[in-house]
Amino acid sequence: MGFPHKSHPKETVVLSQYFGDAEARTYKGWVKRGGYEALAQALKMEPNAVTDIVKESGLRGRGGAGFPTGLKWTFMPKEKKKTHYLCVNADESEPGTFKDREIMRWTPHALLEGTAIAAHAIRAEIAYIYIRGEFTEPWTIMSRALEEANAAGVFGGIKVYLHRGAGAYICGEETALMNSIEGKRGNPRIKPPFPAAAGLFGLPTTINNVETLAAVPHIIKRGAAWYKGLCLSNPKSTGTKLFSVCGHVQRPGNYELTMGFPLKALLYDICGGPPQGRTLKACIPGGSSVPILTREETEATLLDYEGVVATGSMLGSGGVIVFDDSADMVYQIMRLAKFYAHESCAQCTQCREGTAWTTKIMERILAGQGKTKDLDLLLDLSENMTGKTICVLSDSCAAPIVSGIKKFRGEFEAYLAGKRQPVMVG
Amino acid sequence: MADGMINLTIDGAPVSVPPGTLVIEAAKQAGVLVPHYCYHPGLPVAGVCRMCLVEIEKAPKLAIACATTVTEGMVVKTQTAPAKDARQGVLEFLLINHPLDCPICDQAGECELQDFVFQEGRARTRYGEFAKRFNPVEDFGPDVLYVPNRCILCTRCVRFMEDVAKEPVLNVSERGDRAFIGIHPEARLDHPWAGNVVDLCPVGSLLSKDFLHKARAWELDKTASICTGCSQGCNITLDTRDEVVVRVRPRPNLEVNRYFICDHGRMHYKWMNRGDRIEAPLVRRDGELKATDWDEALARVQAILRGASGKAVALVSAGASSEALALVKRLLSGFSWTGAFQIVMGEEAPLAGVPNLALRAERAPNAKGAENLGYTREYTQALAAATTAAVVLVLDDADCAVETNGALIYLGTVLGDNAACRRADVILPITNVAEEEGTFTNRDGRDQRYDQAKPAPGMAQPAAWILGELISAMGLAGAPR
Amino acid sequence: MSTVHNTTEYQPVFVGKVMDELQTVLQRYPNKQAALLPALWIAQREHGWISDLIMAEVAEVLGLTPAYVKGVVTFYTMYHQHPVGKNFVQVCTTSPCNICGAEDVLKALLSHTGAGDAGATSPDGKWTIVEVECLGACGFATPILINDDFIESVTPERVAELVRKYR
Repeated sequence: MGFPHKSHPKETVVLSQYFGDAEARTYKGWVKRGGYEALAQALKMEPNAVTDIVKESGLRGRGGAGFPTGLKWTFMPKEKKKTHYLCVNADESEPGTFKDREIMRWTPHALLEGTAIAAHAIRAEIAYIYIRGEFTEPWTIMSRALEEANAAGVFGGIKVYLHRGAGAYICGEETALMNSIEGKRGNPRIKPPFPAAAGLFGLPTTINNVETLAAVPHIIKRGAAWYKGLCLSNPKSTGTKLFSVCGHVQRPGNYELTMGFPLKALLYDICGGPPQGRTLKACIPGGSSVPILTREETEATLLDYEGVVATGSMLGSGGVIVFDDSADMVYQIMRLAKFYAHESCAQCTQCREGTAWTTKIMERILAGQGKTKDLDLLLDLSENMTGKTICVLSDSCAAPIVSGIKKFRGEFEAYLAGKRQPVMVG
Repeated sequence: MADGMINLTIDGAPVSVPPGTLVIEAAKQAGVLVPHYCYHPGLPVAGVCRMCLVEIEKAPKLAIACATTVTEGMVVKTQTAPAKDARQGVLEFLLINHPLDCPICDQAGECELQDFVFQEGRARTRYGEFAKRFNPVEDFGPDVLYVPNRCILCTRCVRFMEDVAKEPVLNVSERGDRAFIGIHPEARLDHPWAGNVVDLCPVGSLLSKDFLHKARAWELDKTASICTGCSQGCNITLDTRDEVVVRVRPRPNLEVNRYFICDHGRMHYKWMNRGDRIEAPLVRRDGELKATDWDEALARVQAILRGASGKAVALVSAGASSEALALVKRLLSGFSWTGAFQIVMGEEAPLAGVPNLALRAERAPNAKGAENLGYTREYTQALAAATTAAVVLVLDDADCAVETNGALIYLGTVLGDNAACRRADVILPITNVAEEEGTFTNRDGRDQRYDQAKPAPGMAQPAAWILGELISAMGLAGAPR
Repeated sequence: MSTVHNTTEYQPVFVGKVMDELQTVLQRYPNKQAALLPALWIAQREHGWISDLIMAEVAEVLGLTPAYVKGVVTFYTMYHQHPVGKNFVQVCTTSPCNICGAEDVLKALLSHTGAGDAGATSPDGKWTIVEVECLGACGFATPILINDDFIESVTPERVAELVRKYR
């Protein structure tokens, strides 16, 4: 099917097979489509055997970091002495990313099934699915699906609960999410200890992204070799990935592609390219936290973890933001800085003060009051905001600044030289 | 190098520390103070100010010394260009919204922001003409004001209230650069140990109302002392300015009070500055007390003691030094001796997060010392015995309701208009705790010294000196103790 | 002349059925504190916004201090610390929606509802329009939330109809 557009022939439809199919939302509908068979199969297996399959499949975290999922599961204590938890990260808030929302809206049982399989693999008795507060519709759908699944008794002894966020991007950071479940401010924690040693409520915890877990039932059912075979480029990147495409394209939406698929083909062939009469200017390929690519870089990029790094950015969450020649990059970079300034948790000095200061300088440049040395200042502040804090929020603010100034310096200089109409902000 | 110790080098200096030691603490042993704000050894690690960034060989990026545990062979460098640049960056970020109001800030001179900016900050701001964040001063509690503009969000105060006092009445409110330290409008920062947040604050954001604009830090003389507020024996520093005690602060002692003192102890200093002191020895002549010199006064006491025999009673303060208490006993060794003290009781106020630390119900510093020397708590009986005693000696017990048919000798700091001790034959002016050195024994039997912080008024002398003079004049130095 | 003063006593939120609901929530967590976010959601649903007194009540119910609760409430943008209009509208204006015209949607909402400024409530008390960061539906620019209704692909042209529907 596909949603909001019919699946394109170039897509590899696995997770998105039932997007747009309302019947797949129900327990009955899901079972009719082969749902919960993988879970039944997994529950009959030793937890380690489940982990081995996932490890073998090459599945990597789809939330942004790309950490091998099976390997992550092996970090849980070998000897089980305490309660183990699974946290499901459904706090999808990275600008440009809207894939988990679609998974929860159309295939809630896929997530529940993947959750239960993962919980079994890591020997967790409790799983919390943390859904961002703004996702009212996914919340309702997930609640209903959970009720049905509980009524059907598919989870074995595993308890699955939903937990609603309340408006904080940073809760997508794994330890911030745990703090948020614990009823605290969503502050990221210093690591170590890592969650597998001391996570939620101080107990061994694994946290996985929605899309990662939704892929797990398919891997169990169809085998690691099948999943591993889904690879167009680098063997370290396997399977399919949902790419959320937004901004200046004719057909924005979620598209499921085999790893290694060319970004150019996604943007032009599948999404129809920029609106009529416009040309592609830039693209942020992995959610707003990764460096911006120029048109040339974009068109040379292969969509997998290594391919996007090769052209100077990161695959991140697979949120592809497209800018055409009408976009004011200076203004949009200011908007991104403002986003991070708004979302900074306030713990680390560089992030708390740096994101806000960066935004002020960007606003000053836009207002036509920038100074020549502002660009160097922005770069220097970005340097101070990179690699020095508890989490990577301030790094994420720096990424578009640094790549933006490097690649679109002319647009900044036009404001500085008074050659562009000033824009008053705030 | 001892077994089981971890060996590492910090800025080239080798150190051996127990496993589990944090790099910031190991650095102290190497004589290196890594600049920091949020870290405090008495609080859980937060790792948020990011000021203690240092380079660790083989680590992919800079690490915070406060949250990094030492490992064998670790090579820590605090003075490399990346580490210094990173810290300079933090200082710049901290300063963009920090007012430059040091001239009117109580913290100036003992401000860690001032110190580290001076040490390794930028000479000029690059923040330019942007307006600084502004929030009005807030009244947090009986003795604490919050100046949000100066706050660097290190959260020491929040962690103290949450993890040490176990009464989280402070919070971080809002987020990003809008964040500030908050309190619920229905609540007050009135915990009995709340004043510690003022000491813990590395900048002038939390201020003591009591100390507000009272002195500049560099005008203060600091003297090691022991708190007289109760029997806990908290180690303190008496800060004096122009020979007046103006502030009491905790002096770290991990075995007694860690880094903290209670508010009762913190405020228990004003009496040390009393102006209505006895400034000269007084002797009774023709039925009236007359000022005199030490020679005559001491001679009068000797005459009284030599001329008396039988029963002697000492009514003493549990705030007198052990030295004075011991010498009183020695001085009266020729008599059938009774010694007692009375003690004011109050409510016990523990600091929940620290075992065996509380404002104790017994509001005197040396009851244990007195007991060890044979003084009893049977004060009422001692008062009764005093009526028929040949000699009664009152030591620093200004409100003692003594009545006696025998001779009365009073060693004290003050003499109230209606004080029973006005009937004394001899009154000897003594120093208070701030004006002498001595020893107290706390409730756990720990002997602790205190030093002299300011000069004595007039002719007042330490009780131990006076008693020593008498003992030696009377040839009692060799008497059994 | 100021004759309006609040003499009504504080009505606790967590009584009867609402308290029962909280008890059910509590069973999902190993401690009471973890129920804080759910408890605040319940309180906001019942009362419309989270006042200082509600924070104190939630603190009492969960064994926390009011200051602790306030620290948490002020961290999360979706808890209202002030009363809001009958329709609370959140408009995403982050970059991906921004380049697709989100600011025009915001302007249209402000003018059609009479709310005037973002964050302010319209004089008739019906509308509060706020600008929010990424709502996580960037492919459906511009998404807005009207209370709990998530509405996709809003354009300035659709605003008048939406305002009529919710008024």
